[in-house]
Amino acid sequence: MKKSFLLLSFFVPVIFMTTNLFPVDKDRIVLLKTEEPVIHFKIWFNVGSKDDPKGKEGLAYLTAAMLNEGGTKNLTYSEIIDKLYPFAAGYRASVSKENTVYSGSVHKDNLNEYLEIFLDQLLNPGFREEDFNRLKQEAISFITTTLRYSSDEELGKAVLYNELYKNTPYGHLDAGSVSSLNSITLDDVKEFFITYYNRNNFILAIGGGYDDALIDKVWNTLEKLPDGKINPTKTVEPAAVSGLSVVIVEKKANATAISMGYPISILRSDPEWYPLALANSWLGEHRNSSSHLYQVIREARGLNYGDYSYIEYYPNGGWRSKPPVNVPLTKHLFEIWIRPVPNNAKHFALRAALREFTKLSVEGLKPDDFEITRKFLEKYVLHYAPDTDTRLGYALDDKFFGISAPGHLKKFRDKMGSVTLDEVNSAIKKYFNPENMVIVFITPDAEKLKNALVNNDASPIEYQTPKPNSVLEEDKEIINYKLKIKPENVKIVQVEELFN
Amino acid sequence: MLINKFLVKIIFSVLILSAATVQAGGVFPFKVQRVNLKNGFKAILIPIKGSGLVSYYTVVRTGSRDEWEPGKSGFAHFFEHMMFRGTDKYPLFDSVTTTIGADANAYTSDDLTVYHLNFAAEDLEKVMDLESDRFMNLNYKKDEFMTESGAVYGEYRKGITNPFEVLFEKFQDMAFDKHTYKHTTIGFEADIKDMPNQYDYSLTFYKRYYRPENCVLVITGDFDPESTAKMIEKYYSAWKPGYVAPKIEPEPVQTAPRERTVEYDGKTLPIVTIGYKCDAFDVKNKEYMAILPFADLAFGENSDLYRKLVLEEQKVQFIAGDAPMKRDPFPFMIYTRVKSESDIDYVISEIEATIEKYKTELIDPVKLEGLKKRMKYGFLMRLDSPEAVASSLPMYITLTGDITVIDEYFDALMSVTPEDIRNAVNHYFVKTGRNQVILKGN
Repeated sequence: MKKSFLLLSFFVPVIFMTTNLFPVDKDRIVLLKTEEPVIHFKIWFNVGSKDDPKGKEGLAYLTAAMLNEGGTKNLTYSEIIDKLYPFAAGYRASVSKENTVYSGSVHKDNLNEYLEIFLDQLLNPGFREEDFNRLKQEAISFITTTLRYSSDEELGKAVLYNELYKNTPYGHLDAGSVSSLNSITLDDVKEFFITYYNRNNFILAIGGGYDDALIDKVWNTLEKLPDGKINPTKTVEPAAVSGLSVVIVEKKANATAISMGYPISILRSDPEWYPLALANSWLGEHRNSSSHLYQVIREARGLNYGDYSYIEYYPNGGWRSKPPVNVPLTKHLFEIWIRPVPNNAKHFALRAALREFTKLSVEGLKPDDFEITRKFLEKYVLHYAPDTDTRLGYALDDKFFGISAPGHLKKFRDKMGSVTLDEVNSAIKKYFNPENMVIVFITPDAEKLKNALVNNDASPIEYQTPKPNSVLEEDKEIINYKLKIKPENVKIVQVEELFN
Repeated sequence: MLINKFLVKIIFSVLILSAATVQAGGVFPFKVQRVNLKNGFKAILIPIKGSGLVSYYTVVRTGSRDEWEPGKSGFAHFFEHMMFRGTDKYPLFDSVTTTIGADANAYTSDDLTVYHLNFAAEDLEKVMDLESDRFMNLNYKKDEFMTESGAVYGEYRKGITNPFEVLFEKFQDMAFDKHTYKHTTIGFEADIKDMPNQYDYSLTFYKRYYRPENCVLVITGDFDPESTAKMIEKYYSAWKPGYVAPKIEPEPVQTAPRERTVEYDGKTLPIVTIGYKCDAFDVKNKEYMAILPFADLAFGENSDLYRKLVLEEQKVQFIAGDAPMKRDPFPFMIYTRVKSESDIDYVISEIEATIEKYKTELIDPVKLEGLKKRMKYGFLMRLDSPEAVASSLPMYITLTGDITVIDEYFDALMSVTPEDIRNAVNHYFVKTGRNQVILKGN
């Protein structure tokens, strides 16, 4: 190993090209050349869990799993592990609602041997019955044990997403349900694969320290995928949320997880998205103490570990500190995430969060808060894409949203230099809607909570530690803060009933 | 923030193992400069030009291991939260980082607490002023302290729905009698509940451990090392030494195997954890160095056992081995999640049979060489941003006080032979040092 490899020229200005360097359709190739010794591949297929046939939800997920851990015609999965092991390299197909991204990274010393397997996996997948059965069981176990029981926060989000997008192609878990997984056969997987993993239905992205000859090599190999149609992207239209409706997932738990939101009619390609993102950052920048909800619920009152808001789909928020890439939707959602609070503070925490959201919606952002958040984002956005792999992810998302050069993140930063308070407040008025939301609780004593919610019972709060008068005065308003929740809009489900 | 312990273990073992294979004469591929102040404070500077970003990591060589007094478990982590509560000069720490769009956070583990910021290069002096100030002049009010304890309890509640958190808590409690590794980083629930009453103790904690001799600063990214060195002298020289070492009792030699079954209040597939008492991190300890690659070779994803239990028989969801990288002795751990309760005994017998096998048989030398290569590439591929470089160093620093150990560590690992591994397996995997916890759902 040569030492000089890493004497970091990684960070030379990124050369970002979708140019005519080679003869293939430039619209389907994204390149990001750096001087790092690693090469990154991402192949975006226009297929996601939205394409799962009815009754076979989870098919896209299982198909991807068969690429991840199903081996090729030539090599079993364990033979692949053996071959890739010394390279510390692997590959993975990740399914989201709109897309599946097949990606991998390798040190350039090992490129050729790696590439052969990486591409062979797509061209000649193994599709063995024993792997299929194992991976199907794993998917079922993920639903019945991991999702239902190991993190109430992720469970709350999953229930919220299913509820908001019900009766649309987004209205199920990517992993499907227990019964739909059981109904999927290996033949279903093969057919799904041939239909969607075709040579017209992908975008190729390559980043890092590659030679230009590599582009043709990869492209020409991918041309050998079966012929097929481009899978069009159709805008999903979930029903509008009317009023406040509540889903209480009853479960024995010593704390309550809360998620709430509604579908939002704005995409990052819309000029109003950036001012709205500023407002949202003030209200609830993910995993950041600058979040106002965090300040009110955690900082001043110590009720939980954090409180955040979003204007885009943000899966696996509990496991990441910066926004995810390659999970775009045609219809995103506004979401508030209240991390677990003591059971006796759940009604109070909901009121506190909705009260703040309502105040922002009605009063708009204050000039000081606007200025602080504007300055914050101008630099903070730099941290969203610290490495080549993530930058490639953003570039692919730009293609999905039709955002041209210099790309979303640069536009985001630039806009923070010129955005006005009026733009922010007008976006707030247009897109923030605290009166129409779906609220999900993961909690014990569901019936008691339902009664308290629909009757607008006071929700007194007792602190174990002293609080300043300003907090106690504000609490008086929160404790009796009125929420219009009708009994017919409250649904109670048992955790065992979910995702069956 | 408390790092998920399971993740920490995995991440740390990857890092350490990865570091292991760099050739003698230059494991770490960056130029390193050091600043040593008279008060014992040390800074490690690694300029990486071009990104416009700087990563700033302060490593406090104190973690939950240092919570030696009864009733104080979880305090290192709690104190990490308090470090964000401001000083007279900067009463609102967070508002300063917000203004400059810095990404600021912290984490605590058994052996260390790390405060980290990523920010635009032009803000380096402002950050140094802010950071040095809170390490010297932290000043929070009692009611702020009490409120923050609620957030820590919230963090405990968030974590405890994860069966692995429950498992770690019960395992460490059982496997240790005297040493502070008896508790996990988040601490015992009773101690967390009592945190609001520990204001005075928190001041003691700060005075004992937040001292220049116990902290190391790492700066990576786009900065000029010469002017930064002067800046460090300016901002950190006034910090008074006075570190008081914790009175940690050594763990007595375990004399009989220990077993326990734990019920998890929720549904989960059973999780089996087996731990054999091992040694502290020590690159000069030949048995210890030889047991490190054994974790992957015997239980990793290309091991015979993984192939058998995960892929062929499909009895378990996963299996993994984890060799300890800690300041004091900790067990060598094996984790597996069994799909059917009726297979638990069988899976345990297969794990034990694997260990017994390698007491007499030699590891395949081709696999050992493959692993060494994997370590090298794993290490190199991870260093893909200034932050990634900075974040890969705290563990080495807390274990040894510097990063020079990376070279020694690599050299020692590269020289491990199949015979060394066989000796180490015989040395560590003895019945009297065995601990087993089985967690079952309800």
